[in-house]
Amino acid sequence: MAAVSKSGSKSIAFKVTAYTFCALLTVLSLLPFIIMIVNSTRSTPQIQENALSFIPRGHLMKNYAVFAGRDFQPLVGFKNSLIISCGSTLCNIYFSTMTAFALVAYDWKLRKPFFTVIMAVLMIPAQVTAIGFYHFIHGIGWLNSFLPLILPSIAAPTTVFFMRQYMIPSLPMEILQSARIDGAGEFRIFNQIVLPMMKPAMATQAIFSFVASWNQLFLPQVLLTVNEKKTMPMMVSLLNGDSYKTEMGAVYLGLFLTVIPLLVVYFLLSKHIIAGVALGGVKG
Amino acid sequence: MKKARVLSVISAFALLASSAMVSCGKKDEGSSGSGKKTVIKLMTFTKEVKQMCEKYFETHPDFAAKYELKVTEIPTTDGQFQPALDQALKGGGEDAPDFYCAEAAFVLKYTKGTASEFAAPYEDLGIDVENKIKEADIAPYSVEIGRNPEGKVVGLGYQATGGAFIYRRSVAKEAFGTDDPAEVEKQIGAGTNSWDQFFKCAEDLKKKKIAIISGDGDLWHAVENSSDKGWIDENNALYIDPKREEFLDLSKKLKDNGYHNDTQDWQEGWIADMKGEGDKPVLGYFGPAWLINYSLKDNCGGSKIGEGTYGDWGVCQPPIGFFWGGTWVIANKASKNKDAVGKIIEWITLDTSEQGLQYMWANGTFDPSNPTKDVVASNVVMSKSDGKVDILNGQDMFPVYQEANKFAKGDNLTQFDEGINSLWRDQVRQYTGGAKSRDAAIKDFKQAVGDTFDVKVD
Amino acid sequence: MKTKLKGISYSKYGYLFSIPFVVAFLIFTLYPTIYTATLGFTDCKGLMSDDYHFLKNDIWQNFKAVIENESFKTSLKNTIMIWVMNFIPQITIALLLTAWFTSHSNEIKGKGFFKVVFYMPNIITAATVAVLFKAIFSYPKGPMNDLLISCGILNDDYFFLNSRTAARLIVAFIQFWTWYGNTMIVLVSGVLGISPDIYEAAEIDGANGVQTFFRITIPNLKTVLLYTLITSLVGGLNMYDIPKVFLNGGPDSATLTTSVFIYNQAFAGSYIYNRAAAASMIMWLVIVICSAVLFYVMRDKDEIKLNKQIKKAKKEARLAAKGGVNEWRL
Repeated sequence: MAAVSKSGSKSIAFKVTAYTFCALLTVLSLLPFIIMIVNSTRSTPQIQENALSFIPRGHLMKNYAVFAGRDFQPLVGFKNSLIISCGSTLCNIYFSTMTAFALVAYDWKLRKPFFTVIMAVLMIPAQVTAIGFYHFIHGIGWLNSFLPLILPSIAAPTTVFFMRQYMIPSLPMEILQSARIDGAGEFRIFNQIVLPMMKPAMATQAIFSFVASWNQLFLPQVLLTVNEKKTMPMMVSLLNGDSYKTEMGAVYLGLFLTVIPLLVVYFLLSKHIIAGVALGGVKG
Repeated sequence: MKKARVLSVISAFALLASSAMVSCGKKDEGSSGSGKKTVIKLMTFTKEVKQMCEKYFETHPDFAAKYELKVTEIPTTDGQFQPALDQALKGGGEDAPDFYCAEAAFVLKYTKGTASEFAAPYEDLGIDVENKIKEADIAPYSVEIGRNPEGKVVGLGYQATGGAFIYRRSVAKEAFGTDDPAEVEKQIGAGTNSWDQFFKCAEDLKKKKIAIISGDGDLWHAVENSSDKGWIDENNALYIDPKREEFLDLSKKLKDNGYHNDTQDWQEGWIADMKGEGDKPVLGYFGPAWLINYSLKDNCGGSKIGEGTYGDWGVCQPPIGFFWGGTWVIANKASKNKDAVGKIIEWITLDTSEQGLQYMWANGTFDPSNPTKDVVASNVVMSKSDGKVDILNGQDMFPVYQEANKFAKGDNLTQFDEGINSLWRDQVRQYTGGAKSRDAAIKDFKQAVGDTFDVKVD
Repeated sequence: MKTKLKGISYSKYGYLFSIPFVVAFLIFTLYPTIYTATLGFTDCKGLMSDDYHFLKNDIWQNFKAVIENESFKTSLKNTIMIWVMNFIPQITIALLLTAWFTSHSNEIKGKGFFKVVFYMPNIITAATVAVLFKAIFSYPKGPMNDLLISCGILNDDYFFLNSRTAARLIVAFIQFWTWYGNTMIVLVSGVLGISPDIYEAAEIDGANGVQTFFRITIPNLKTVLLYTLITSLVGGLNMYDIPKVFLNGGPDSATLTTSVFIYNQAFAGSYIYNRAAAASMIMWLVIVICSAVLFYVMRDKDEIKLNKQIKKAKKEARLAAKGGVNEWRL
């Protein structure tokens, strides 16, 4: 910090410090993943001999074979997580945009109180409601169903808030008026005019909604008990099990399998994700 | 451009998801459409009972034509199995199992405890249970554990899990000059009903740089199931049996003197010792026959005499009689397929014929590709079978284990054993590791039990 | 926003379009919240909990039991301790990086790359991260033990996961490691939002980089810092995935957080729903109080700015509170 100065030698010192530090943090961020990827290709004896190595070996398929007939089923977890994440993302994005539209485009009596309620809801953490949520879901017989993990996303206050902020400057009322003159109904206006205009905001929110849903553990753990319904994060906790104590290569491979979809999404969309975070689009 | 890419990725995922939904929808149609088989659902924590049921279907084609098996297997790790089973039973409906398995550490909850009302008496499954038990001469403790509060049998097992000392022959030779069970028994103080001789022996072995056991967990199972009373007394209050409390001192003694390799049961180090790859060679493990069949065999580093430690093992009596583990099979009262379930359960737990499960189980004919011989619950079957196995270098283990089974009893089990044991072991480790005093460990243990379970503590 | 056209009132569409949100909110958030609060006053526990009644003798019994419960106290202490151990390095490093990445005098190349790399851990499933770190710190023999021994820092394998301090530090580190990139990006965007004129003026006055950072950047970053603090606090108080999967609250309850405590009370062991519900409500109260206190402390005393700032801060902070909701409900 003291190095932040204009003089030439200090500037070099600053740069050396800054780059070294950033390089260190880069190693810190990447090393665990590198260990994971390399070790997923090594056999258990190789790992036991030397757990820290950067030379991949050819045991990937053998490690994968360990999963055959066991409870860790990456494909099942992947499918379940995908259904839940896509379902909840679609609900989240569509209905949040609709709610934001209701808040921005129409003048109605309860609009302000409604907005205040949305803001207040943001304060309620989900664990607070988890016990009641479980009893309620159990009561209506929805345990081991994906619906209680998808439908609540219809009411996603954060996305509504974000959509509203985005919509206020970017949605000209004149367009709505002219569409009405052309005889379009309000619902059609929303679907055919407003939604396409909101695409960039929807894309950003979709990423975060998807990732958050994909990664959640608490509620699925409470609501899903059957093996074939387990989500990816629940599959991961199975790798903690006794039966994998002697299969370290397989544990690393299992972990790797669970993060591949996220890594793919991240490296394709990292710029948008970073931009989205900068906009305050995700929690801290 | 970029936005287009974002959208294309998202839509690709949506497409994938919808196709996944469609495909799983199709699968559902397929399974309900193909033949009108009745599905019977099993919930278990290992693949053992699952394989037994598959065998039953295989050997009973008439049955297999009518029924179809669906298994949910959830390991007991981190206590995952019980909550899942409880929810499935309580939730009822489609996801409720027709029958399920319970392990010794929590079977009482399902036979006598809070979940006992889900269990159907065997007689309601069409099993003439009391007579069959007599005929098969089932180990009495196994029957006692399986009785519900009204005294009706709701659960039985297929194994008998009396424990012995399972030692490495080569290490015994190095230590005592012989691998004869009779001599090893004497050295470790078999039948003395105290740990004194055992620790004397540990001291001798230490001089020869041999660990008597792998970790304190080995001793724990012998201590736990030889204690007089269980964790919870008749007033639903926590009770620490003096023998279990003494485990603190035994464990400390083991650790402070370096008598073991300081491993944790089921962890890497413990398993490495089975291969003989630990810090010091380990004389042996305490355990029932299943430990030989499912742990030593898989982890000894070989499958023929001479490979790894295969064939380098022997069994003899332990200093204190104990039992460890075992699986009980229980039927759900709400099951609509009681007759079918009854047939499978009877075949597993009470059939003494050569086509019955226990005979195959005891004689290694259950799975020809992986012949293991296990000690079974029925003494009638045991008397028809011999327990000579290669991993023990041809030693017949049945006499040793039948003797050991006499010490097995069900009256020191409680319904929360699985959870309470793990809290206890955690505190014992803190004490032996020097992190806290003996009193503090006991105090924290009581606290933790009171906080986690609906049990009174002082 | 005139929404009337040729005498037709469109306000009914405002109601119409908010119906899905309102219905989902009532069913999936409000009702379970009230349900949970209610359960805290009943004798609802045990496997067969369908038949329960309000407590007759002492309606606050469950709340008292939770407050007196040693494990709950421990879990609250752990939660706060782990949060502090993660937040201090997190905010320090994030601020340092922010200073560097927004420095006008010393342009750092590859900012984009560093942002992408530093943010990456944040997107990875917390459960995966927990198991990965458990494997890395495994004993005996594990990548971390191997690394420390080959560097000469350790002589012999260390049993990290059996040490209370080490386990707590690792959980705090994982939390730090997953969030510092996020915090940094939020702070950088906050700095970029500060009017460049102020910096120009400072430069003309001859302020150096350090002075500029402390005199201009930090004060102008107040609301963003508040946002970061509150989101992190709410997230930290709800910490569940990592301690649960990493060591299930162990060893010896060293990483038992309040959320793990609540889960274990309600869904493992004896199914003590009523006590867990009471603990949930207490946690909710703690979160509300913490947020309120922070608002009060961070309040700007400048009269003119006051209203604007508070309005903005409230918005931000409410946005902040979504932390918990976001994680479970999106």
